[in-house]
Amino acid sequence: MKNSIKVERAKKNITQAELAKLAKVSRQTINAMELGKYVPSTVLALRLAQIFEVEISEIFTLEDSDWD
Amino acid sequence: MKLNFLFPNKFKSIGWFTLIPSAIIGLSTLIYEYEPSFLDFNVPAIFVDELFSVNKKTFRMVTNNILNEILGVLIVISTFLVAFSKEKSEDEYISKIRFESLAWAVYFNYAILILTFLFIYDFAFLWVMVFNMFTVLLFFIVRFSWQISKLKKSASYEE
Repeated sequence: MKNSIKVERAKKNITQAELAKLAKVSRQTINAMELGKYVPSTVLALRLAQIFEVEISEIFTLEDSDWD
Repeated sequence: MKLNFLFPNKFKSIGWFTLIPSAIIGLSTLIYEYEPSFLDFNVPAIFVDELFSVNKKTFRMVTNNILNEILGVLIVISTFLVAFSKEKSEDEYISKIRFESLAWAVYFNYAILILTFLFIYDFAFLWVMVFNMFTVLLFFIVRFSWQISKLKKSASYEE
């Protein structure tokens, strides 16, 4: 699954640490998501959408490999 | 909302504080077979199978040195505190790493056990059994701490 957390973060001009605080997770988790190493839970994904004030599908996109 | 079977973060240091001395004392009493007589007690036993005796008994009082019981309980409880206390910033990703490490530790522990089944015999196997009581959690602690430190390193350079 691809995500545009880094892009959205840049738009909002906040650091990983600041986003982590807003989303109530550790900075490592934000970092791991941006690197595509971790797929967040639905709850965390919804939190991020609310923080960035966008639809969840604008942040997260399925890839072909997600159907395997 | 979430039931995660974890203790608060502060229990981790309490766990280490108890685990290290009790493991050292436990190991040395095991090696030197230290059984101080003031810890000899009559204790209730569910099942008794004495050496050199054919009859097995149930629900009896037996005389036993309780030092190894005390140390065993302390080691298990403190290992649990170290293994299952929350990290300072426990979140869903850390939990995922935690449970992956636990699965890894179970596999690793039983792989080692199979090897010892095959290559360690007789009385020496008793030592394997003694250590194997604690190794699942010890392997977990090592694996999990390593994964967390790797995570912290990888996240230390950002932007």
